[in-house]
Amino acid sequence: MNITKAGYHGILLPDLNIGFDYSGTDTQHTFISHAHADHMPRNRNSSVYCTPNTLKLMQRRGYKGDATVLDFGQSIETESAKITLYPAGHILGSSMVYVESDDGSVLYTGDYRTPPSPASEGFSIPNQVDHFITEATFGLPIYKWDTHDNLGQEIRSFASKSLEDGYTPVFLAYNLGKAQEVMHLLAPLGYQIQIHGAGYKMCDVYEEAGIDLGNYESYDRNSCEGKILITTNSALNNGFASNVRKKRIAYCSGWATREAARGQLTVHKLIPLSDHLDFFELIRLCEELNPQKVHITHTPNADVVQHYLDKRNIVSRFLDIEMEEDD
Amino acid sequence: MAENSFQKLANTAQQINETRSNNAKIACCAQYFQSLEEDDLKLAAQFLGEGAFSSISGKKATVGSRTYSTCAAEFCEIDYEKVFKPCKTALGSASEAIEKLIHNIEVARNKHEPSQLSLLEIESIYEDIYSVSSRADKQRILRRAWKKMSPLEIKFFIRIMTRGSLRIGFETKSVVSAVAETFDKKVDDVRYAHMITGSIGKTAVLCKNDNLDQANFKLFHPLSFMLASPIESRSVEDLDGYIAEEKFDGMRAQAHISGQQVELYSRDLNEITHSFPEIVQFFVKKDLPDVVLDGEICVFKNDEILPFQLLQKRMGRKKPDKEIMEKIPVLFISYDLLYHDNRPIFETELRERRTLLSNLSQTHELPITNQFEVENHDHVDELFERALAHGNEGLMLKRGDSTYEYGQRRKSWLKVKKPGGTLDTVMMYAHAGSGKRGGYYSDFTLGIRVAEDERYEEEFIPIGKAYGGYTDEEMKRLNKRIKDLTVEKYGPTLGLIPDIVIELEFDDIQENKRTKANYSLRLPRFKTIRWDLSPKDTDTLKDVERMYKQKINRERLKQEENPSFLY
Repeated sequence: MNITKAGYHGILLPDLNIGFDYSGTDTQHTFISHAHADHMPRNRNSSVYCTPNTLKLMQRRGYKGDATVLDFGQSIETESAKITLYPAGHILGSSMVYVESDDGSVLYTGDYRTPPSPASEGFSIPNQVDHFITEATFGLPIYKWDTHDNLGQEIRSFASKSLEDGYTPVFLAYNLGKAQEVMHLLAPLGYQIQIHGAGYKMCDVYEEAGIDLGNYESYDRNSCEGKILITTNSALNNGFASNVRKKRIAYCSGWATREAARGQLTVHKLIPLSDHLDFFELIRLCEELNPQKVHITHTPNADVVQHYLDKRNIVSRFLDIEMEEDD
Repeated sequence: MAENSFQKLANTAQQINETRSNNAKIACCAQYFQSLEEDDLKLAAQFLGEGAFSSISGKKATVGSRTYSTCAAEFCEIDYEKVFKPCKTALGSASEAIEKLIHNIEVARNKHEPSQLSLLEIESIYEDIYSVSSRADKQRILRRAWKKMSPLEIKFFIRIMTRGSLRIGFETKSVVSAVAETFDKKVDDVRYAHMITGSIGKTAVLCKNDNLDQANFKLFHPLSFMLASPIESRSVEDLDGYIAEEKFDGMRAQAHISGQQVELYSRDLNEITHSFPEIVQFFVKKDLPDVVLDGEICVFKNDEILPFQLLQKRMGRKKPDKEIMEKIPVLFISYDLLYHDNRPIFETELRERRTLLSNLSQTHELPITNQFEVENHDHVDELFERALAHGNEGLMLKRGDSTYEYGQRRKSWLKVKKPGGTLDTVMMYAHAGSGKRGGYYSDFTLGIRVAEDERYEEEFIPIGKAYGGYTDEEMKRLNKRIKDLTVEKYGPTLGLIPDIVIELEFDDIQENKRTKANYSLRLPRFKTIRWDLSPKDTDTLKDVERMYKQKINRERLKQEENPSFLY
């Protein structure tokens, strides 16, 4: 099976005329895994395949093209392949693309997470994969996530404790996916939530999908004090809630594992809540799938992942694709 | 959990780390101190404020980063080069990597035998480490100890052991404040007792027992030095009340003298007596009363003060031979008196201390600095130029009414220096940062051009390593650019295509035979990132050699007229 990288982000199966998260127009069938900027097509008008929720979210972010929507589990066939989308557990709408052809099968993961985000459609994977194209954003054994229950508890008690002490809690979480997951985890508390405008416009898509985001509204500078605030680090540096003096800030990201993040972002609390799977899940999944070959993308530490796979007699290679630290 | 357990100390340190305001950190530490009995209090204060042993003890639990890192890799059953090192680079901290790996990796977790070690037991582990010297012995002790600790305990155990910062935004100064708050004492009194006893643990116990007045200054226990703040002379608005002295190009030192006994201490409070036997002899012959002198060790020959580069050849030598003592003779030039008439006098004003020092100098022929009352800025400029002409570094400005503020760097003493020079250099390697800069490449090896130099085959060779002088924004921009220029990766270090030009500022050039260039720079730092220049515009080794020669061989004003010191 011929697998190549295209530009900074995309991956191509040239023999099957298939592209994954690819921005070129020379491929007949382009599949978009999810609506994060580094995976969406650069060209707003290109024709792509994606899940219905991914399409809605892409449209909120300015996509104008004509997309063919595919539900999870529903297949399409081209002259040379059969393609099926699987839920990736990363954010709402995120999918993994499964391609079956005479040359064998390929699973392209995009970004994924298992166990899945509770604010997504879940996670499931085909049984038989020859070529496993997997991201490895957190490809080091220092990354191991706490259980989802514990992380949710941590988020809720940070919010309640801050409010009790007379502080406004602020969660730093990126606009699409993490923000809504944090809101979903906070929803049972019933407190008022304000979310930055860029994230706010994504929220109704989540609600339509049946995900409870609690009692929320769009950020308003004059009324934000004493509510739970959700925003990004860059917005916070550009005056977000700068009128509120008594704030406590929590950073929700897999990168919050690093103690150095505390000083670099000047935050009070680090909550390693990630939208990607951790290192140990990654190695376990490779073992379980036992594919002919693992193609590793999106990581600065492919060497370490390969070292672990070598020890398990799993053949692997590094497909050098840029990763975006923000996700 | 027992109050005297090491786990409790580790939890407190972590809680301090997660607290932002300094007052809240101090309160958190004070609450912990409150709960402890005498012996445990002593150790807790020592571990948080000083390290495995008190600074006065002279003991160190020396375990190198490679020793405990390879030990941790083995403990976790992972490859040191292939797995441990990238983890350390990603976090910017070996001890944090060890904490996470032992927490995450099942085989390491399974070795844990819950035991709740007490602070006393931890102290005896440090003693064990101190008593052995081979790497294998140290690792054996570490392995056994780690089995009994949680990952968080292990992280702080390592940080205390290596006497580095605990990285919780809580340095010795804050521990002093916490001790004061715990026992409702004045911070200044606690700091004084700490300086005198040389032990924060002992100080805490004195506070607890309300015996702070028992802390007395003793001869042959070095006192922390008073330090000067760097400044441009013109930025001193009001020169009234300042006196000026030339700033020598030597080594700061403290001399404790009592009859035949003389000891010298360096700025980091290490004893350096053995390196300078002629100074000891000099003081012994003077038949002085008991005194403590603050001053500078300088190379003095043929009526000239010679550059620091020569003094370097005397430093760190256990027993200098006759030849080198004749070739590089040294002199202790005093500028302050800290102990006189059987009592410490650092609480008296500088002018008064100076009068006593002058008297001593006259009766016992001690070399002391020449002091000038400063009149106006033009006068300061004139003195500054003369200091440089003498071969000295610049000027010291001191407030006549200031007390000796041991261990502090405030505005009572100011130093006016001239930067050594600048070089246009090219960035050759980028090194992963640690601590606050973890996750970024923040240290850089800079090179000079030797492309047309027949002695070398390379195009560039390193001249210095800099890790400051740039803003956070500039560091981020550099990190972006570095990504595109990387050609090799050796663990935490990236080899770069020569492209980025840095104008490097430094204090001085020194000969250094251990480097490829044979020269190294003192305090190199970024002046400007020269995005406008290309590597072919950089300075060459020949430029460096020329600058060095100019400095060493330049004419020095003899000391006969307008001397820098009186003798």
